[in-house]
Amino acid sequence: MAESKGLTRAKEIYHNRARRAEELKGEGKKVIGYVCLYPVLEMLTALDLVPYRILGDMREPITKADACLPAVVCPFIRSYLDLGLKGKYDFLDGVVMAHACEVVEKVAHIWRIYQEPPYAHFIDTPHTKHEAAQKQHKELLKEFQKTLESFMGKELSPGRLKEAIEAHNQQRALVRELYDLRKPDPPLISGTETLQVMVALMSIPVEEGNELLRQVISEVKEGKNGLQKKPRLLVWGSIIDDIALIELIESAGANVVMDDTCVGSRAYFPDVKLTDDPLDGLAYRYLVELKCPRTFREAAFGETTKDYMADLESRFSYLKDYAKEWDAKGIILQSVRYCDIHGYEVPGLRDYLGHIGLPNTYLEHDYTDAALAPLRTRAQAFIEMIG
Amino acid sequence: MVSEKKKRAINRLQSMYPLRSLVDGMYERAVEASKEEKPTAWCMVNWWGGDSILRAMDIAAVYPEDYGAVCAAFGTAPAYLERCDADGFPTHMCGYARNCIGYAAKMKDLGEIPPEAPMAGMPKPTLLLASGYFCDTRYKWFQALGRYFDAPVWLLEMPHPGVKESLMEGAYDHNIRFIVEELMEFVAFVERLAGKKMNWDRLDEIVSDTIEMNRIWHEVNELRKARPCPMPSRDFWSSMPASLYVAADPKVTADLYRKMYDEMKEKVDSHVGALPIGEKYRLGFAELPPWHDLRIFDQLAERGWNFVVESWAYHPPKPVDLSGVSNPLERIARHTYQYFAGYFEDAFKAKEPMGYFAYPYLEYARDYQCDGMLLHPLLTCRTATNHLMLVQDRLMKKLNVPSLVLEGDIVDLNLFNHDDALRKAEAFEETMDYCQGLRKEKGLNW
Repeated sequence: MAESKGLTRAKEIYHNRARRAEELKGEGKKVIGYVCLYPVLEMLTALDLVPYRILGDMREPITKADACLPAVVCPFIRSYLDLGLKGKYDFLDGVVMAHACEVVEKVAHIWRIYQEPPYAHFIDTPHTKHEAAQKQHKELLKEFQKTLESFMGKELSPGRLKEAIEAHNQQRALVRELYDLRKPDPPLISGTETLQVMVALMSIPVEEGNELLRQVISEVKEGKNGLQKKPRLLVWGSIIDDIALIELIESAGANVVMDDTCVGSRAYFPDVKLTDDPLDGLAYRYLVELKCPRTFREAAFGETTKDYMADLESRFSYLKDYAKEWDAKGIILQSVRYCDIHGYEVPGLRDYLGHIGLPNTYLEHDYTDAALAPLRTRAQAFIEMIG
Repeated sequence: MVSEKKKRAINRLQSMYPLRSLVDGMYERAVEASKEEKPTAWCMVNWWGGDSILRAMDIAAVYPEDYGAVCAAFGTAPAYLERCDADGFPTHMCGYARNCIGYAAKMKDLGEIPPEAPMAGMPKPTLLLASGYFCDTRYKWFQALGRYFDAPVWLLEMPHPGVKESLMEGAYDHNIRFIVEELMEFVAFVERLAGKKMNWDRLDEIVSDTIEMNRIWHEVNELRKARPCPMPSRDFWSSMPASLYVAADPKVTADLYRKMYDEMKEKVDSHVGALPIGEKYRLGFAELPPWHDLRIFDQLAERGWNFVVESWAYHPPKPVDLSGVSNPLERIARHTYQYFAGYFEDAFKAKEPMGYFAYPYLEYARDYQCDGMLLHPLLTCRTATNHLMLVQDRLMKKLNVPSLVLEGDIVDLNLFNHDDALRKAEAFEETMDYCQGLRKEKGLNW
C-alpha cells in the first residue's frame, strides 16, 4: 500500500496523533510532550528529542481529572490532564511546560506529582516585555538547557541549536506560505483542513513536518478542493485543537480564511532571529513576539498617561492587518469557558473591532463536542448578517 | 443577659478592631488625597513590593480586591456585578474583578464616586498597579479598566519560586536580580508620575518597618497553635488586611500587631480559647471565605468548630534575617521571595514537593493540629481553587485529615448555599471523628 501524502497524511496523523510518536520511540527516539506555545521547541529538536504537543480531546468525557483538578477551571486543561491520568500520554519520555497561564502553571506541577515522568521541566515565563523580563527569560532558558542536557547526557552545541532554529523557521515560512493559499476567493484550502495540518505538525518531528507541508502546499496549489465563494471569516481566541468548531462554522455557510489561535497562525507566524547567542533570539521570540494575550502589552507602558484607543490599536492592530490581507468580512471571537486570559480581552477587543468597523460575535463553549451544537444557530445568524 | 450570651458564638479579640479600622480608613484617606489632586493608586496585593515604594512617594493607595470584600459585606456588590456582566465581560470571571469593573463603569457614567459606594468609595486612580504573581486576573482586570478611565497600568513582575527549578544553582540569584531590576524600573516610573525624586532614606525605613510588622504578625499566628486557639479565622480575616494591603504607616500597624500578640499571649497562658463553648474541632480554611455570609462561621462556632489557620497565601512570610542587606529594593525582593518560597525547602526535605501553592497546607495541618479542612472552591477564581483537590488528596493520604468541600464565591452570593453548607458540615463531624482514630493508629499526636 502506497504511503499517503499531503492532506491525506495530515488527516491520518490528525486522527491518530500518537501513532507516529510511538513509531519513533520504537526507533529509539525520545518524545517530549509540551503544553501551549511557550516551551522552546528548538532546544528539544537540537538534542534529537521529538517535541509533541499535548492536546485535549473534546470528545472524551473527563472522568479522572476531577480527582485532582476542580471543574471550574479551563476544560481544555482538564481534558489533557485527564488524558494523561488515563495513560494516553504514557509514551512520552518527559514533559516541558511553561507559565502560559496560571492553570497551565499549576497543572504543570500537578502533572509532575501524579504522572512522575522521567523528565519534567517548568519554565516560569515572565508576563511582560520589560528588558528585565527578557533577561530573566534567557536565564530560564539556560536552566532548561541544563536539565535537558542532563537528561540526554550530552551537551547542546550552539551549532546544533542554530540548525534547529533554521529548521523551525523553515516550518514557519512554509506555514505562512500555506496560509497565503487561503487568501484567494474562494480559498484553496478550508479552515478545517488547515487545522488538521496544524495539529499534524505538532505531532511529528520538524523535518517531517516540513516535508508534509511541502506536499500539502503542492496539492493545494493544484486547486482541486472545490471550495465555493462564501462569506470570509477570521476566528480569534483560545485553543481550537479539534475540527468540530471550524467545521460547524464552515458548514453553516462561511469560509474560515484566517485564524488567530494557538494551533494556528499564533504558533507559527513569528520567526526566531538568528543571533550570535542563539538563546537571545529564542528568548525574544518566545516572550516578546508570540501574541497570546497572556503577555501584558500596553501602548503606553512606562508612560504616565494612557490613551485607550491607542492602547487597543497597539494590542489588536495585527487583527486589522489579517482581516485586510485575508479579506475577512467578519470575525468570530471564541473562547473556552473559564479562560480568563481571553475572557478579559473580549469587551476591549469588541470596542476595537467596532471602531474599525469589523463585524464580530463572541461564542463561549465548554470544550465538548456536544456543547458546540447550540452555537450553530448563532454562527448562522452572524454569517447571514455579514453575507 | 442569657440571650446576649447566646448570641456570642465567638469571643472576638479586642485588639482586632483597630487593625480593621486602619484598613477601612485607607478609603477615606485616598478620597481626601484625590480631592487635593494628589496622585492615587489602585493596587493589587503585591506583597510589599510596590506598596513600600508608593508610600515613600506619598501616593495614597486603595486595593480593589479588599474593596470587593467590602462591597460583598455591605451588599452593594450585586449591582456592580450586574453592570459588569451587562458590559460584556464573561460571568465566570473573578468576583472581585467584576465588582470593580462594575464600580468603575458606574463611576464613569456618573463622573464621580457612586453615592452608594461603601466606606467613602475608591477615588478615580492616577495609576493602576497590577501584579504578575499568582493569577492572570490581577493584570488582565486592570488592563480591561482602560474602557473606563485612562490611568496607566504598571505590572510588577514576580517569579514563581517554590518549585524544583527554583532550587537550581544560580536560580535564587537571578530571581532576586530580576525583582530588583523590576523595582528599580517601577521607582523610575513613579518618579515621573509624581514629578519628584524618591526619598531613599524614607523608603529604607518603610521597608524595615514593613518587614518588622510582618515578623510580629507571624509571631501572632504562631500563638494560634495553642489549644485552645484564642484567634479564630474571623479575627484573622479582619486583621490580615492591615498587613496585606499596607493600609497605614507600618510602624503603627506593627504596634497594633504587638498589642494583639500581648492579648493572645495572655489568653494562651490562661488557656482561654475563642469559643465560649469550647473547642471541639480544630479546622483550617482554604482559600477565601464567602464575605457575604460570614455568619456561617458563627453558626459553626456554635457547634464547637474553631478555625485555627487559613491559606498560607494570606499569612506573612516565615521571618528571614535581612539585616545585612543594605539596598532597600533588595530587601523587598528577598522578603517577598521568602513569602513565596519559604516553605519549599521543607517540602523538599519532606519529599512532598507539591509546590509552593499546596505544600504549606500539610505543614499547617500538622503544626496547628487540624481535625479537618474546609475547602471553599470559588466558582469565579481559578487561583484560589485549582490546587484544592490536590490539597484534599494529600491531606488525607499523608495525615488522615479530611476535607469538607463547599463551593461558593467571594462576592457573588448566588453561588453559595448557606443551608446546604450547614447540613454538610454537620455530617462532616462524623468523618472528622473517624479520621481522628485513624491518625491515632498512625501514631500522629492529635
